[in-house]
Amino acid sequence: MKNLGWRQWLVVLAFVLVVCVTGLFAVRTVRRAIYWHYHQDEPIRPWMSLGYIAHSYSVPPWVLHQALGLPPRAGKPDRRPIREIAREQHRSVDQVIAILKDAIVHSRPPYPPPPDAPPDEGSPRGQPPAFTPGQTRGPIPPQQTPEPTQEPMRGRSP
Amino acid sequence: MSVTDQVLAALLVYGLPVLFGVILICSVGFPFPISLMLVAAGSFVEQGEMKLWEVIAVASVAAVLGDQIGYGLSRWGGRRLINRISRKLGAETNIQQAEALTKRWSGAGIFLSRWLVTAFGPWVNVASGIAAYPWRRFLLWDVLGEVLWVILYVGIGYTFSNRVQTIAEILGNLSWVIVGLIVTVILGWKLMRIFAPEATT
Repeated sequence: MKNLGWRQWLVVLAFVLVVCVTGLFAVRTVRRAIYWHYHQDEPIRPWMSLGYIAHSYSVPPWVLHQALGLPPRAGKPDRRPIREIAREQHRSVDQVIAILKDAIVHSRPPYPPPPDAPPDEGSPRGQPPAFTPGQTRGPIPPQQTPEPTQEPMRGRSP
Repeated sequence: MSVTDQVLAALLVYGLPVLFGVILICSVGFPFPISLMLVAAGSFVEQGEMKLWEVIAVASVAAVLGDQIGYGLSRWGGRRLINRISRKLGAETNIQQAEALTKRWSGAGIFLSRWLVTAFGPWVNVASGIAAYPWRRFLLWDVLGEVLWVILYVGIGYTFSNRVQTIAEILGNLSWVIVGLIVTVILGWKLMRIFAPEATT
C-alpha cells in the first residue's frame, strides 16, 4: 500500500463523493421513470394552463372551464396559468387544483365520457354547470356509481 | 410558487420573448432548469400554442448569443485578468499548457456541452474564452451543438407533450447522471495512475 499524500486523498474523497452523488441521481431517474410507468397522470402545477391540463389528462377543455365556472370558449382553451385563474377567483391554487382533479375524475371511467363540445343547456350528467367559489364536489357514494363503459373514450383537446 | 413555475407561467402567457430572454440569461451562466422550458415549448407547439420554426429559431439564436456573451466576456475581460495573475505568480508556462490542451480538445467539448452535458456549457464558454480558442471555430461548434440541443428537447416535448413535468424531471436527473459518470471516469483514471505500480525502466 502506497503512502498517499493529501492531494491523493483528496482525489479518493472526490471520487467517492462523485460516485455517491451520481448513484443518487441515477436512483432518482429510475424512480421517476418507474413512477411515470405506473402513474400516467402527472401532478398539476400552478404554471399549467387549463388547455395543457386537459391535454395531459385527456379530457375536453370545456369540462375544466365549466368546473371553474369560466365561460365556455369556442376556439382555443384558456392560455392563462391556473395560478392566475385562482387569483382572479379569489381561491388558492390548491383549491383550484382540487376542483380540477374532481372534474377530471368525473370525466373518466367508470363515469360516462363527456362529449367533445360543451352541451348547449345544462350538463349531460344532470350536474350543475359550474361550481360556486369555494365548493367542491364530494366523493360520489358507491350506489350512485354508473356502470363502467366497455372502452374508455376520452375526449381530446382540439 | 417556485421560480420554475413562475417562468413557465410567463412562457405560457407571453411566449417567445420569455423563451428568448430566459435561454439567453441561462446560456450566459444563470442556473435554471432550462430543459424543462424547452420541453414545455415543444408541448405548446404540439398543442398549437406556438409555431415549431419560431421556437427552434428563437431558442437557437438566444442560446448561441448567450454563449457568445460568455465567451466574449471571458476572452476580453478574463484574459487580461489571467495574464496579470499568471505574470505575478510566474505560472505563464502552466497557463500556456492549459491553453494548448483547451485548443486541442475544445471542439468536442464545446459541441458536447451544448446538448449532452449542458451543465458544463457556461463553464466551457468561459474556458474557451480565457484560452483564446479561435472564435470562428467556437461559433461553428456552438451553433451545431445548440441547434441540436433545441431540436432534441423541443422534439422530446412535442413527442411527450402531455407529460412535460415528468419527462423534464427525468431528463434533468439523467443529465446529472451523465455529468457524474464523466467526472467519475476522469477521477477513476487519476486514481488508477495514483495506485498503479511504479513503472520499471
